[in-house]
Amino acid sequence: MQSWRRKSLWLALSASWLLVLLRVFPLLRLAVPARPWAGAPQGWPRWLDAELLQSFSQPGELPEDDPQLPQAPRGGSCDWGACFDVSKCRGGGLKVFVYPVAGPISDTHRRILASIESSRSRSVSPDEACILLLLSLEAPAGECIPVPQQWNGGRNHLVLSLHPAFCTQTFQLGQAMVAKASPMVDTFRPGFDVALPLLPEAHPLRGGAPGRLGQHSPHPGVPLLALAEERGGWRTAVPDSSACPWDGRCEQDRGPEQTHPGATLPNATFCLIPGHRPDALHFLQALQAGCIPVLLSPRWELPFSEVIDWTKAAIVADERLPFQVVAALQEMPPTRVLALRQQTQFLWDAYFSSVEKVIHTTLEIIQDRIFGASAHPSLLWNSPPGALLALPTFSTSPSDFPFYYLQRGSRPVGRFSALIWVGAPGQPPLKLIQAVAGSQHCAQILVLWSSEKPPPPRWPKTAVPLTVLEGQRKVSDRFFPHRAISTDAILSLDAQSSLTTSEVDFAFVVWQSFPERMVGFLTLSHFWDEARGGWGYTAERANEFSVVLTSAALYHRYYHILFTHYLPKALRALADEAPTCVDILMNFLVAAVTKLPPLKVPYGKQHLEARPPLAPEGLESQPPVQDCINRMAVEFGYMPLVSSRLRLDPVLFKDPVSVLRKKYRSLEKP
Amino acid sequence: MGQARLEWEEEAVCVIMCASVKYNIRGPALIPRMKTKHRIYYVTLFSIVLLGLIATGMFQFWPHSIESSSDWNVEKRSVRDVPVVRLPANSPSPERGDLSCRMHTCFDVYRCGFNPKNKIKVYIYSLKKYVDDAGVPVSNTISREYNELLTAISDSDYYTDDISRACLFVPSIDVLNQNTLRTEETAQALAQLSRWDRGTNHLLFNMLPGGPPDYNTALDVPRDRALLAGGGFSTWTYRQGYDVSIPVYSPLSAEVDLPEKGPGPRRYFLLSSQMAVHPEYREDLEALQARHGESVLVLDKCTNLSEGVLWVRKRCREHQVYDYPQVLQEGTFCVVLRGARLGQAVLSDVLRAGCVPVVIADSYILPFSEVLDWKRASVVVPEEKIPDVYGILQSIPQRQIEEMQRQARWFWEAYFQSIKAIAMATLQIINDRIYPYAALSYEEWNDPPTVKWSSVSNPLFLPLIPPQSQGFTAIVLTYDRVESLFRVITEVSKVPSLSKLLVVWNNQNKNPPEDSVWPKIRVPLKVVRTAENKLSNRFFPYDEIETEAVLAIDDDIIMLTSDELQFGYEVWREFPDRLVGYPGRLHLWDHEMNKWKYESEWTNEVSMVLTGAAFYHKYFNYLYTYKMPGDIKNWVDAHMNCEDIAMNFLVANVTGKAVIKVTPRKKFKCPECTAIDGLSLDQTHMVERSECINKFASVFGTMPLKVVEHRADPVLYKDDFPEKLKSFPNIGSL
Repeated sequence: MQSWRRKSLWLALSASWLLVLLRVFPLLRLAVPARPWAGAPQGWPRWLDAELLQSFSQPGELPEDDPQLPQAPRGGSCDWGACFDVSKCRGGGLKVFVYPVAGPISDTHRRILASIESSRSRSVSPDEACILLLLSLEAPAGECIPVPQQWNGGRNHLVLSLHPAFCTQTFQLGQAMVAKASPMVDTFRPGFDVALPLLPEAHPLRGGAPGRLGQHSPHPGVPLLALAEERGGWRTAVPDSSACPWDGRCEQDRGPEQTHPGATLPNATFCLIPGHRPDALHFLQALQAGCIPVLLSPRWELPFSEVIDWTKAAIVADERLPFQVVAALQEMPPTRVLALRQQTQFLWDAYFSSVEKVIHTTLEIIQDRIFGASAHPSLLWNSPPGALLALPTFSTSPSDFPFYYLQRGSRPVGRFSALIWVGAPGQPPLKLIQAVAGSQHCAQILVLWSSEKPPPPRWPKTAVPLTVLEGQRKVSDRFFPHRAISTDAILSLDAQSSLTTSEVDFAFVVWQSFPERMVGFLTLSHFWDEARGGWGYTAERANEFSVVLTSAALYHRYYHILFTHYLPKALRALADEAPTCVDILMNFLVAAVTKLPPLKVPYGKQHLEARPPLAPEGLESQPPVQDCINRMAVEFGYMPLVSSRLRLDPVLFKDPVSVLRKKYRSLEKP
Repeated sequence: MGQARLEWEEEAVCVIMCASVKYNIRGPALIPRMKTKHRIYYVTLFSIVLLGLIATGMFQFWPHSIESSSDWNVEKRSVRDVPVVRLPANSPSPERGDLSCRMHTCFDVYRCGFNPKNKIKVYIYSLKKYVDDAGVPVSNTISREYNELLTAISDSDYYTDDISRACLFVPSIDVLNQNTLRTEETAQALAQLSRWDRGTNHLLFNMLPGGPPDYNTALDVPRDRALLAGGGFSTWTYRQGYDVSIPVYSPLSAEVDLPEKGPGPRRYFLLSSQMAVHPEYREDLEALQARHGESVLVLDKCTNLSEGVLWVRKRCREHQVYDYPQVLQEGTFCVVLRGARLGQAVLSDVLRAGCVPVVIADSYILPFSEVLDWKRASVVVPEEKIPDVYGILQSIPQRQIEEMQRQARWFWEAYFQSIKAIAMATLQIINDRIYPYAALSYEEWNDPPTVKWSSVSNPLFLPLIPPQSQGFTAIVLTYDRVESLFRVITEVSKVPSLSKLLVVWNNQNKNPPEDSVWPKIRVPLKVVRTAENKLSNRFFPYDEIETEAVLAIDDDIIMLTSDELQFGYEVWREFPDRLVGYPGRLHLWDHEMNKWKYESEWTNEVSMVLTGAAFYHKYFNYLYTYKMPGDIKNWVDAHMNCEDIAMNFLVANVTGKAVIKVTPRKKFKCPECTAIDGLSLDQTHMVERSECINKFASVFGTMPLKVVEHRADPVLYKDDFPEKLKSFPNIGSL
């Protein structure tokens, strides 16, 4: 009894304390911030008559405003709306007129002209041109370009000078857009001028110098900082390597220790670059080296700042706070370092690695201004593969491209379209049609009839719609973006191809996991032929491969767009001459975009025995065929193909387990 | 400062709270041991002491809390009572704005100093009323919006009341609307602020610049180096990277309740609701309406409204009267045309209605254009293209329009809807410039919350195949199975690409064997001793790991052939952002139990690989150790299980990608672990593993694992091809 009373007493007591405390807490919370002790924040007063205060704009005021027509541009200032006439820019492609140079034309100049020609822009007469391009490519040798005839105050002109010492004094640039290397911030007209990178004298014209980033994360032994020096060198400051663990806590670096006056590329995690104009050259070196540029109050506009989000790849800091900057760099979380590093390399590779890319990027920026609402979204500019390879004429929605599924947290849905190319023999591939139509993922079958013979009037009944398209009897036609293709995935086939439903099903499931790559069955591998001093390739079975034959391959339909609208005409013509080249060309293209090898999936042995090799005949017999790989490598400026040593098989492929357990059991038929 | 205060406060609360909890727990347990008399004595004493404490506490805090709940400011209760400052006619005036100002030339960054929180400190001058020699006020003392703005700053983390520690100064002189002030005198008032110093680090907010007849696009008040947050900048007046372009606040945002309307096609394709439109432009718009009929609606001021109707809230077309801003929700695109000024409050109304603004104002700098990507939410059309507007807009695909509508609404919600939102965005932009390494990213500024949640940003996004020469570091976690460990070391050392071997000695009670006993191998071997026997030690980012590729391997995995391991490394090089392992496992949804289930049977799919032997990028070690969500890491250490499942979750969640299973291997069979393969143990093992999946899925808030149907084999695996010509002939079986 007593214990019960005692308990209740205690309960009551503690309850009352609790109550008191509970009541005090909210008061404490309220009271503490308001406590007016010395130096405590007082804040902006809460006025008693705050409700009675008048609004800054009285309702009657604005309508009384007297609207005016736009003012004429003042002085030398110009902006896009005022100084550029968009009306001439209607119609496909960017219509460019390039002023001919007076005097002897240099080789560089000729090649640049060719690259402008081959890009998606086309050249027209000065009267029709949307942009009149005045090129100043080489460092001027004393004389300046005379004022051209069609100058017209510079309207719709683009003065493109790759090297800084361009003489602007000779004529008023006026309404002309100026694309020059590292323009000073004070004179740069944002949204009108284009800031170019300051290129070194010997910058590769096309293809490009490869980025030097060998790995995603910085090597632990690599110094934290490199400092740009005056004569183009870099001085590295080596902090104690063990003092700089992954969690970002580093000891203060011990100051400069090493000097590499000869080394042109820095080897450090961060590259400190002073803000003076000559140092802009260092900026590009840092990008190429994958060293994160830390710009100290740059006086010059960052290259292509209109479209490139430099906060993702560089740090613009205040030169007056060097110690804070260094401290902040040391404290920077590894995640950010990793992201910045990779972005430098992506940007280098997408926009800066060759003169051709720099010029194409410039034109693309102007094209985007003209497009307005249907320009590249920022995502396309700032994530791989970059805006030059993601054409806004295809779509402005990232979800239509094969590259951005992951970023958007989605994966390709839907099915595939089988595109069967019927070449010269003109045999309708009935067996193939049945095998493909049997796939649960097949949405439609398109027969591209490219034979002299007329197509048969009747086709077998299939579960999916079958359409016959009249081809133009060119091999490159099979990669034309036909309107009839309604799905993201395309299964490209030859009439001679032989596939089973199971093989198609599995290949499609694999493609869904890798929508940016090509998934194929039969492969080639390329190699460097020492004896001939050129590239070669072989269809022999080997331990690695770098090309999948497009006579049976799955890929995203966007590659048809790139093939037709991005590749230079010369390359497509090359493919038409020698049909085997078309396989290699398509693989070149996809590899250049993705920087990754294609994927191989299992292909039944029975097909190989049933018919002659899938690879078009005469692989070794025709020298020009062998040669097309070299000609393409020259056109691309480098060898984009990447080798792979793996094949993707079903999880239980050829495992010693009951066939009944296996989903793709017919893949294993002997 | 605000942050610190809050922490202090919580601490104080905790001290008392924790104490009280302690007493409550201890009280009854102590009592029975004492005699009743003593007990009463103690209880009374104790309560007196406690009550006393509480009372003092209350005395200290109570009165102030009363003050704060009403208005504690005694002497300055009304705006009308603020001190009056008389400006002599000849008092100095600042120079005109310096157009060449940039942060590194005109901004004194030393005042911002080193700041661990990377936040600038903002000081607000106290409110004064300025009059000229004749006693005529220089301006309206303060407008409702400017008062709101200063309140918002004062309530934010940026605020400091210590003028000597401030980095940015905000005058309380209201210059939001230039029409309500006298330019020269206001400038004089600015010049006599105590820290003016040519306007360095001073921030002025102005929404309606210029005045008749020529309406300058920036505030006409001479302000020297002061930063201007202005609504209506043009390219000629805006100092890129120095000034901040802000919206013109629409008072309707607060006055009208407008429920959100989802994106999609609407009644009018193009709508114009502005009243003050230049006659020439109105003609153009009327012509559009005539040409396209019903789909274009051009509204004007109402002329014959009855008395008492608020004409600001009505728009008319001929005799039809429409409610404003409600009518904007009927438009897919809404025209935002320049008036006398470039910045128009209608932009805010239009965004709010989820109508895509068609901005027709040449050279206008859109609000917050330094950070906001207006291409995603608006269409900018040159003024001379008004007749073509319809065609331009029609070329935009429907899907993109809906995206823009969503984006427009989000911009309003985040940066337009209140004065506070405008003030915070402005300060954030300036803050980002001063602490660039802590700046918000493009995505943080521009992606609506739904996109932020669904999107994945792979930390290893660059398509890059690391060079083979780099090799990999094998990390063997071991406790005391020395014999088996040595066998593993010998086996692994045969792999050509191995560059270093790291043994994590997880046994604190026993020293690792002496140096001489260890197998002699061709690569460096290091032993790391751990402080505690924890499973997570296997995933610690040791400094000794120099390569990017890491092979985690158990001390009993001896069945993997050298070819298998080498091939695994080659596969990792092609997929450096994924977990590459041997036996695969699957998670399944159990419909009967309504939860996830772990599956190790013969499945056609995989979603996880065991980390008993797996390759991965060393960055994931950092993530596992420092960024693992929730309490997963401790949970794993406590249960001594599922560290591999946790790693699978982590990698899949951060990359959005599936694992790669290599070779047919289904199990790690080893002589020592036959017991674990026993049936009964297997059962409980499976249950535990299923629990882990459910636990992790709830911590992650989603199921990040991705299911795939493929595995990676060497190109010629099981092909009819001479074995000796294959690169990896010795791929083991199950």
